[in-house]
Amino acid sequence: METMISVEDLSKTFKIQRRSTGFAGAVKNIFHPTYEYKKAVDGISFSIKEGEMVGFIGPNGAGKSTTVKMLSGILHPDGGSINVAGYIPHKQRKEYVANIGVVFGQKSQISWDLSPLDSYEVIKHIYRIPEKLYKDNLERYTELLDMKDFIDRPVRQLSLGQRMRADIAAALLHSPKIVFFDEPTIGIDVVGKDKIRKFIKTLNETDNITMIFTTHDMQDIEQTCQRLIIIDDGKKLYDGSLENVKTDCVSTRIIEAEVENMPSGLDIENTQITHDESTGKLTVMFDTDKISTSDVMTALMSTHSIKDISIKEPGIDSVIRDIYEGRIKVG
Amino acid sequence: MKDILSLFFAYARSGLKSRFQYKVDAVVVIFAVFFREAGGIIAMYLALQKFGSINGWSIDELLFLFSLIFITYGIFIVFFMALRDFSDWIKHGDFDRVLLRPRGVLTQLVLCGADWLAAFGHGTLGLVLLIISANRVGVEWNVQTVLYYLMCVIGGVLIQGAVFLTFSSITFYVLETNSLKEIFYWNMRKFAIYPLSIYNKFIQAILIFVVPFAFVNYFPAQFFLQKPDMAAYPAWFMFITPIVGIVLYLAAYAFWRFSLRFYKSTGN
Repeated sequence: METMISVEDLSKTFKIQRRSTGFAGAVKNIFHPTYEYKKAVDGISFSIKEGEMVGFIGPNGAGKSTTVKMLSGILHPDGGSINVAGYIPHKQRKEYVANIGVVFGQKSQISWDLSPLDSYEVIKHIYRIPEKLYKDNLERYTELLDMKDFIDRPVRQLSLGQRMRADIAAALLHSPKIVFFDEPTIGIDVVGKDKIRKFIKTLNETDNITMIFTTHDMQDIEQTCQRLIIIDDGKKLYDGSLENVKTDCVSTRIIEAEVENMPSGLDIENTQITHDESTGKLTVMFDTDKISTSDVMTALMSTHSIKDISIKEPGIDSVIRDIYEGRIKVG
Repeated sequence: MKDILSLFFAYARSGLKSRFQYKVDAVVVIFAVFFREAGGIIAMYLALQKFGSINGWSIDELLFLFSLIFITYGIFIVFFMALRDFSDWIKHGDFDRVLLRPRGVLTQLVLCGADWLAAFGHGTLGLVLLIISANRVGVEWNVQTVLYYLMCVIGGVLIQGAVFLTFSSITFYVLETNSLKEIFYWNMRKFAIYPLSIYNKFIQAILIFVVPFAFVNYFPAQFFLQKPDMAAYPAWFMFITPIVGIVLYLAAYAFWRFSLRFYKSTGN
């Protein structure tokens, strides 16, 4: 498969005015502004193949949106290079953007007072979509996104989930080769999220569209993407399969036990033990690379009589948090 | 060209359709604009009855001077409304969407932003004033004068377009330009209601060379009225409004092209 997106050592710095407070500060802001520089994106490289579906995750302010904005040609990078489908986005904007679709979860492209259908008519003219392609796509997405009931109703009367589906269709009418989804499920209920995820997955599988998906919601990634890129503080922390994050990188286990006799001076090597006096709950955290689960169990049972016990594998959410906070090194 | 027109009509259809979602409001807006602006003129009209004339300009001649402001402004907001409100486009992130579409940035902004209802209000008022005054001040309409009048209207629209295109370019550097607009457009527009010759040299220089509102209405009006106060200025000023419009607009466009790369987008 061909490389669709290649990004080399990309960086972007924003100049932010540091505002002093109070009256004296306000005067100072005008006559002697001080600036600080924030590296929003700091030397990121990756490449994405045609038809791949990649999840971008990272906390707020990590540089996800800035990266997507540079990839889609909205922002000029300060350093490094971008090549998408043979184009340099910020230099060949007009030719390039005909090939991409962008969905912003926080910013709709269809008019509040019009029906989705009215907005699509304008989009048809802007993108010069041939009549036949427009009709075919419209029919297909109306079906797939289940929009029949509301496609001719003013957007102000739609639910957030419906509006989002209408917005996704709007970004696809011109049959883009690459689609960027920037937090498309934000604020939508479980059923609505599920519809959107299923649609995105179907589209990726049947149409071979290359997709980048930014989100805070790990479920979005788990249900749609095979590949994951984790960004924090403008840097790439992880780039690889979702499975790897779950298995290879994470060998932490947690045993929770309810014990009858109070443990005293319990110490098992290579584990962290916490004890909640009020409930009598004992929590043992350990790394299976250093000590096996059965060894921990044996040690526990030799000193305590156990009423109840459970073994937990940390969820993907907490794994990601551990990666952000530097507790787990991946790469 | 056909392609541009079809895009313009697509925007116009959807723009009007969304305004007429609220039919009462739409009709009220047209009348509100018309009467708000007309009210100002009536007040001045009454005040002038006492003086009879200002610097040799009769009331009817002043109305002719006004009509150019309203007619050009009516057309201006059909094409330049997005640029007039450009800092909002940036602040709300709407400009990102413009950059994501395979058309010229300025093409989209110029074609999409029309406030048709307000345009209709201003335009109608301008035409009413023109019809009332032109007859009474004895403007002689023939092919040449009609043609030159139309060229002056286009020039006047371009001059105001250039002013706002410049403000919009400045928005890329400073984000908020409302006070600049207040000082350099809305105040200048108020000055342009009266004949240029009544002001001191400083204000005249601003209205001729900085924000050349004098070329939107005063000098073109002089072409038709030939008032004696024109002697204070080079006579050829009467003939260059279309050129001033085109040159200023091209210069503003060059500045816009240069400034576009400084766009920083908004965070989320």
